[in-house]
Amino acid sequence: METSSLARLSARAALVALMAVGAACQPKQVNRIDPAAVTDLSGRWNDTDSRLVANELIKQSLDGAWVKRYSDAHGGAAPTVVVGDFANKTYEHIAVGTFVNDLERAFTNSGAVEVMVSGAARDAVRDERADQQTNANAGTRSRMANETGARYMLQGEIQAIEDSEGKEKVVFYQIDATMVDMESNAKVWIGQHKIKKYILRKRVGL
Amino acid sequence: MTRAAAVGVLALAACTQRKINPEPVTIMRNGDRVADSDAKIAEARDRVAGQQASTQFSRDSIMAAAMTGCTPDVCAAVTRGEVTLGMNEAQLMAATRTTPAAWSVRRSGDAAVYTSALQDQSPRDAVAAVALVQVEDGRIASYAYNEPSGMRIVQKSGDASATARATATGNALVQQGDEAVAAGNANLALTRYDQASVLLPNDATVQYKIATLLDQQLRPIEALMRYKRFLHQMELERINAVGDAYAKQAEAIAHAKERIIVLEKH
Repeated sequence: METSSLARLSARAALVALMAVGAACQPKQVNRIDPAAVTDLSGRWNDTDSRLVANELIKQSLDGAWVKRYSDAHGGAAPTVVVGDFANKTYEHIAVGTFVNDLERAFTNSGAVEVMVSGAARDAVRDERADQQTNANAGTRSRMANETGARYMLQGEIQAIEDSEGKEKVVFYQIDATMVDMESNAKVWIGQHKIKKYILRKRVGL
Repeated sequence: MTRAAAVGVLALAACTQRKINPEPVTIMRNGDRVADSDAKIAEARDRVAGQQASTQFSRDSIMAAAMTGCTPDVCAAVTRGEVTLGMNEAQLMAATRTTPAAWSVRRSGDAAVYTSALQDQSPRDAVAAVALVQVEDGRIASYAYNEPSGMRIVQKSGDASATARATATGNALVQQGDEAVAAGNANLALTRYDQASVLLPNDATVQYKIATLLDQQLRPIEALMRYKRFLHQMELERINAVGDAYAKQAEAIAHAKERIIVLEKH
């Protein structure tokens, strides 16, 4: 009797050890997947949301009348824009740079809008230009005080509303982008995109 | 037994949460693809390139017409990008680097009035935003700039000079200072008069207004200096015999002299 229970215990221990070894030997799995693929894991803000926002804001801004109005009044010149603050007013960390950069890319590559560098990047350019005044050949120096002044500033904000009960949760994001005339303070274009997510956490079972 | 079962089912139904049914809205599920915006950007690029080429052609044609047979001063103004009296309509557009799309034109006989076609997008030359242009017999007879201090009208060649512009801006600042005094905002009034005194260095009345305000604010040393400067400028005006300014300011002169005596005693 004792022998048989000892044997059973040994068999169980061996099984557990085998499972542990099996788990340890399971190789890490990494797959490259299409960046456009929807991959919702936690339900929080992710790359899909960023792409959806970028697509919608690009569509709205390039179709907006403000570019043509400016162009008509200025002999066909494209309006000049500097990107200002994009405030994240949610409790999540949201990398606003991803869709703002998408928007800048659309403006620049379409030729519809001329985007001026701003913030820290502008400081870096100014430092380099200042350095050129001392160290570069006179014929190749970039001239000082010859920047193009932006006529418009792109500003925006992201807000979120959450509602949850039990295993269910609904998150609503609203992204507003505004183009402001820096001389008159008038808002010449407002873009908006809304995302609503329904998150159901299923009970984990074996 | 059946009744008990029915009651049980009802109770269960009452306690069950109403599920949110997201259908029939579009649902994005894992594995779906988000379209990229490259097609939209390409479409915009084609559209914008076409518009820009068309506008550029129009601008080139206008510039060619403007520079054909223009007088030297008008040619120079077009090159500088400044509107000037005597320009024709093509030269107006060339100077402001615009096309007819930027302007709204009302014609009456030989006269025409040019205003901005878009209220928030005034055409501008190298000086400022051009609010209105009056054309008579095909030539600009007068025009108005929309400046921060208000409208500035150019009707004769002297009005377009830098000095005339400074005088107009200075006068506008004096007017804003007067309004601030009337509103009881002495600090703002002083700021406006100080700004005006730089643009109107020979205007004695600005000095007198500053002196009076400083005197009221119990700043005797500065007030004394301004009263003296006022009297000095009035003396210069009298010597220069510029109009009857001296006679008109007799009361102010008497007041300034009186205050100088009082302030110097303290």
